[in-house]
Amino acid sequence: MDSGTASILVEVFFETLGYWYIIIPTIFLGLIVGGIPGFSAANTIIILMPLTLALDLQSGLIFMISLYCAARMGAGIPAILVNIPGTAGAAATPLDGYPMAKQGKGQQALAISFVASCIGGLLTTMLALATMPILARVGFYMHSVEMIVVMLFGISLIASIAAQDMIKGLIAGFLGLMIGSIGTDVVYATPRGTFGFLELYDGVPLIPALVGLFAVSEAFVIIEKRVIVNHDGEPKAPNWHDTLEGVQIALKRWVHIVWTSLIGLVIGVIPGAGASIASFVAYQQSRSFSNTPEKYGTGHPEGLIAPESANNGVTSGTLVPLLVLGIPGGATAAIMLVVMQFHGVSFGPSLFENQPKVGYGMFMAMAISYVFMFLTILPLSRYMSHVTTIPTIYLAPMIISFTLVGGFVPREYMFDMYLALAFGILGYIARRTGYHVAAILIGVILGPLLEKYFLWSLKKSDGDIMVLFSSTLGNILWVAFALSIILPIVFGMRRKRKLEVPAE
Amino acid sequence: MSMKPMITRRTLLGTGAAAASLTLASPGLLHASTFPERNINVYVPTAEGGGADRNFRAFSSVWKGKLGTDFEPGFYPGASGRVGYEIYMGKADADCYNLIFGNMGPEVLNWAMQAPSFDVNDYFYFGQVDKDPCCLFVGAESPLKTMDDIIAAAKTRRLNVGTSRMAHPASIGLLALGDKLGIDFNLIPLQGGKGTVAGAVTGEVDFSVLTSGSVIAAGDSVKTLLVFGNNIVGEALDNAPSINDAYDMDLPEMLSARAFGIHKKAADDHPDRFEVLTSTFKETFDDPALMDAYIASKGQPEYLQYAGVEECEAFKQAMLEMGARYKSLLSGA
Repeated sequence: MDSGTASILVEVFFETLGYWYIIIPTIFLGLIVGGIPGFSAANTIIILMPLTLALDLQSGLIFMISLYCAARMGAGIPAILVNIPGTAGAAATPLDGYPMAKQGKGQQALAISFVASCIGGLLTTMLALATMPILARVGFYMHSVEMIVVMLFGISLIASIAAQDMIKGLIAGFLGLMIGSIGTDVVYATPRGTFGFLELYDGVPLIPALVGLFAVSEAFVIIEKRVIVNHDGEPKAPNWHDTLEGVQIALKRWVHIVWTSLIGLVIGVIPGAGASIASFVAYQQSRSFSNTPEKYGTGHPEGLIAPESANNGVTSGTLVPLLVLGIPGGATAAIMLVVMQFHGVSFGPSLFENQPKVGYGMFMAMAISYVFMFLTILPLSRYMSHVTTIPTIYLAPMIISFTLVGGFVPREYMFDMYLALAFGILGYIARRTGYHVAAILIGVILGPLLEKYFLWSLKKSDGDIMVLFSSTLGNILWVAFALSIILPIVFGMRRKRKLEVPAE
Repeated sequence: MSMKPMITRRTLLGTGAAAASLTLASPGLLHASTFPERNINVYVPTAEGGGADRNFRAFSSVWKGKLGTDFEPGFYPGASGRVGYEIYMGKADADCYNLIFGNMGPEVLNWAMQAPSFDVNDYFYFGQVDKDPCCLFVGAESPLKTMDDIIAAAKTRRLNVGTSRMAHPASIGLLALGDKLGIDFNLIPLQGGKGTVAGAVTGEVDFSVLTSGSVIAAGDSVKTLLVFGNNIVGEALDNAPSINDAYDMDLPEMLSARAFGIHKKAADDHPDRFEVLTSTFKETFDDPALMDAYIASKGQPEYLQYAGVEECEAFKQAMLEMGARYKSLLSGA
């Protein structure tokens, strides 16, 4: 980094810090909209577009960036406490976050999630800032063939989940993949399995599926109990000790945070890939190389750290193609592009030559937002965890009504509310009969993405299946994928053997 | 001397009947004279916050002053606009209080690929807000720098070309070019403008075709080589030539053209209301505030162009015809 860039960074740092009066209220706004299913940073920025456009460029940017980061973290809060992932990016969070809440460790789980999010987000922001030109090249190598393998990393989680009951796990996964194939195909737009519903032409909408499978079905289940926390859990008055313990647990696993947030960063810089892919891939990788894979899904801190640090890694990653190539990496980045163009900022390779303070300022705003988020939100975990002690007689109807509205919000179709309810019933039946709803959901979320990349690859190669092995990077990823499947089995056998030795 | 009664039974009945007829007819008369009495609902078949939304808000912010009422947009995205049209045609009353704000290019092509549940002649567009020609562009780092490079490369292998979706005017422009040059291009639908630009920039495809507004917005990440219409913005599209000039063709302009549409029945049943709509729509173009609003919404000023019922209908029919011609290539049928 040359001295000119360093002085710009220092200048931008102090300037951004001076906007604390915008960042802090926006963080709270972001947490609220992130926590409400169906809302997101993207649609909040759209709603507040007149305000954003009225602000000067720097204030508008800081507002959007803070909102984006906080909403990402906010989506994890209801995912942990009441099993409601507000966005697809938080879909992997409840896998271990919610079991922790049920064990009476909601406060710890929140603290772990906040630390993982903030450190993951901060670290990847700094890394993106330092290596932007290199990272921007990732998109030039990760094409549809390579993305197929990335998708398979995430989808292979179904097999891991199925490990406890292979038949039921695979049935649930295939059901999810079948549901995910509903809608028009990506090449010729031929409708499949839409049952005549026009609302299903674009596929099963994610938010209704998400809130239905996780939250509505959970509401049906918890209504049979008095409170969310299990009888054998630790129902105790919230205290600072639990928060500090959560911080300690997360900090002890700093390598894990670094590793999984990097997965998020790399996936985030690929145009079109998003937080849902990153969080599932990070979870799968975390589980594959863990010494205690059997603990995943039961309230294991590492199972919570992985998706949270990964989806916050995506946040900084999506800015890279936007700023360096002029390609928005996701929906929120696309709206930022519109707002910045309104202010006369032109994106692409010339941005850092013509308006370097704008480019560096966005990353600086992100870094400072994460620092402020850590300081302001962490203490609130003590109060937020009270939710798990609310009697379910009140909580369950609130969850159902809240999530049905959440299902309605993204497209404003009544159909989506009914769909959320239908998924809720499906989820309830699955839970009661021992099928894993997460396996269904992985199929629903990642199935259409896998199909998209697969069909693109086949279309590009005129149907030649060998295209899957036509790129060097793709082949390296295939090997890595094979290793990530085989090595955990080998490690598991070794561990088993070691345990058996003393018995002999 | 006997006096005739002032009101006979016959005159009483006659007057009563006339009064009743007048009373029954008066709401219609009043309606006609005071249209619009309430807000106009506008069905937008794309998502809120997108280009159509910005375009609609810019235009309606000026039109509402001429019409004397406000517009209430409802967003019905899905299936490349099909959902919005089906809801408009199926559920909205044909009374001139319900309009649709669509895109006469890609959305009309949908009907050529797969017929909707309604008759496509049961609605028509009466006012074009803007038109944006499609173009062919490469990524800034692409080895293909000129059209000659593309033609030379196409002789050695089948080139992959990104497009927003198969049934898109830009796709037709490319297929027509392929017909003229004897080249078989392989269209890859990259699902939307962002993906299409990204595909060309990152090398997922050899080059892409798209509406020029989105290409201009991508800045210097891309370079435009050919326009499937007239290049009226010059430098903004790298002074790329028109396909007709460059290759001696007579292809109709391949456009994305946003326009307001209405039920045919509404215009037939309420010609007075329809007249109010069309006349105020045209007046809006005379107001300099429209250009300011359009530029503020990031519209390309040169693309703001009025077209009335006849021009819109001709464009719609041309799209249906082109769609039918290339249906087998665009739908895989």
